[in-house]
Amino acid sequence: MSSVLDKKKFNTAMPVIAASYIGPALTPNRDTIWEEGKLPLNTDGLVNEVMGQPMRRAGRFIKMVACGGLACLQKVSLDYLKGKKTGIFLATGLGNVDEIMPFITEVFKHGGGFPSPNQFANSVSNAAAFVLAKICEVTGTVLTISQEELSFESALWLAQSYLESGEIELALVGGCDIFTPTVEEYRERVNLTPENSRLMPMGEGSSWLLLGNGDGQKIGDILAVDFGNQIIPSEELSASENILRRSEQIMSALSIQENAGREQNRILLPGFRVNKIETGLWKREGWQVEDYLPCCGIHSTAAAFGIARALREKPSALFAHYNCHASGKQVLVLASTE
Amino acid sequence: MTHGDIYVRGWGAVTTLGWNAPDSARNLIAGIAPPAVAGKSSHLINPEYKAFEVSHSGNPLDKSMAMLERALNEAFARAGLSKEEIAESSVLVGTTGGLFIRNEYEFTEAIRKNPDKESPAISCRNRGPGEVADLIVNKYGIRGMALTFSMACVSSSHALVVAADLIHRKKIKRAIVVGFEPLLNMTLHGFASLLLFDYDQCRPFCMRRAGMQIGEAAAVVILEADKTSSAKYKFAGGYQYNDIKSMTSAGIDGVTVSEVVQQTLTSARVSTADVVAIKAHGTGTRDNDLSEGRGLVKLFGEKLPPVVSLKGAIGHTLGAAGAVETATWLSCCEEGFIPQSFGFSEIDPEIGFAPSQTNIEARSGAYLFTFFGFGGTCTSYLIIKE
Repeated sequence: MSSVLDKKKFNTAMPVIAASYIGPALTPNRDTIWEEGKLPLNTDGLVNEVMGQPMRRAGRFIKMVACGGLACLQKVSLDYLKGKKTGIFLATGLGNVDEIMPFITEVFKHGGGFPSPNQFANSVSNAAAFVLAKICEVTGTVLTISQEELSFESALWLAQSYLESGEIELALVGGCDIFTPTVEEYRERVNLTPENSRLMPMGEGSSWLLLGNGDGQKIGDILAVDFGNQIIPSEELSASENILRRSEQIMSALSIQENAGREQNRILLPGFRVNKIETGLWKREGWQVEDYLPCCGIHSTAAAFGIARALREKPSALFAHYNCHASGKQVLVLASTE
Repeated sequence: MTHGDIYVRGWGAVTTLGWNAPDSARNLIAGIAPPAVAGKSSHLINPEYKAFEVSHSGNPLDKSMAMLERALNEAFARAGLSKEEIAESSVLVGTTGGLFIRNEYEFTEAIRKNPDKESPAISCRNRGPGEVADLIVNKYGIRGMALTFSMACVSSSHALVVAADLIHRKKIKRAIVVGFEPLLNMTLHGFASLLLFDYDQCRPFCMRRAGMQIGEAAAVVILEADKTSSAKYKFAGGYQYNDIKSMTSAGIDGVTVSEVVQQTLTSARVSTADVVAIKAHGTGTRDNDLSEGRGLVKLFGEKLPPVVSLKGAIGHTLGAAGAVETATWLSCCEEGFIPQSFGFSEIDPEIGFAPSQTNIEARSGAYLFTFFGFGGTCTSYLIIKE
């Protein structure tokens, strides 16, 4: 991460009006320790709970995106968006493979299969964002962003930039990734090795934040989304001292130190690429470490789950979420709750 | 929405008409646009689906990588970017398939090499659309932001608009916008299953149009706020809109199209009379061309400037279309002419105009670009030749 800090580099802190997290247990905003062997659970219960009716023609990815987005909006209701310029920023590392793979399997069937037009339509990369935008009646900025394990942070950074410019008033920002056919293939697609990640179960999820000026009803703030501008060697990616120093530099640049109330409740949320966590060092520096991965498992947008869960469940706290890309790019998200 | 002065510093493109943008432009201007033919790449399994394929002697995965590298290097050279300038840039990629070509190639190779064995299940080994940006970041040591937009046919046109927004807001200094779309069985069969595929010819805005034909391409457009001495193309009025009325059409009454274009003109402070020519999306499908044609007539009326679709000559390059058609158009401007629109023979009375059937002088002024994609996505922007 860059060593010289310029406050202007950061987007303005953005109020979080609502947050919601769904992990592989498919129980919105409820924690469960996850077991990989259960992947994937049937989505019918989730869809009924959140949507109130089945989504018959939609695949797993579209259902998860729609349920995740709507679960986030339950706090404020859909009417809250009416008359406000709203943007939707859907982040996904792997996209809607649940529709792509059966479709391509039909294409390659010996003698010619029968590829389903509905399956192809649903496999198009932004079909899920369209469905969510239609439900929410959002017609402005609707973007599907994909940047592997940094997809959610990229979407968050972009959403902050649009909010800051005034082009939109509200941003619904979420991360969704779903299980692909086998755990082995899934691990390969997320580019997992023992050196570049923690040993954790694979998972999936759809977790969302509603950002914007909430007229006093915020639950917290996204204070900074800081992408490092250096590619660093893999052995340094998990170095706690570097992460700690960077977090404190940003806090200092943003004058966060002055907020004494949260001094007692600083929490590190380590992303799945952090392969070792020096808990003792963090404790000595006054930080707790909260590993959210046992509840959501590894998936490309697990950061969305970790951040949304912290914002929702941990009042009066300051969070630093750190993750890095396997190739050496790092990102820190600082957030706080009321 | 962009308001400030943002310039195109460089571009590059590989299309079915050439391995660099000037070659594609010269062929278009000379009227050399061979029809789509049955795919030759080893991974393509159905000869019924004609496509605009980039010629290459190697395997399809190597070809895709070569296309990407060639487009990047052409753009960097034209922009005169130093190694350090490339490294401090941000990369915004628009792609739908990403490196899915790897899955199709490896699967078909496995079958070819083991003809007596039962076919294995096709496996999915690519790492999602973001893999392309990561590849570029690693190869060129790029330290800026990397963002990938995977939004069907507007992927790279949206990337251009977002890039301009971010430059305008001073969030990034320079954007390397990439469109990348290798030819896939998945999309050829997919559009055929939706009955949106013309087995004979792509005929944008023509009465006889029956669907699209797919092309493969890689292209790069480099945007930045600083005007270099050689920069003469300004990017203005970028606008992205999401139409939630239909997943597959921008509304055949033309209202959405007309409003999207009007928004672009208004934000760029350009009047309809200032538009020299329109680079239309013009896919050759019944609905797209009807909604786009009606929308343009609604806005421009009898003073409709020449309308050109490039898809009759290079095919619909899907997520790459924004970068590919912009880069190719800019090289046409450099050659001095805007090419005719290919594949047209008969006016559709419901549309009410013929796309441009002759080359026109690429004079200074505003050129309008439109893109309308699956999922209600609309992009429009202007390139102003100074």
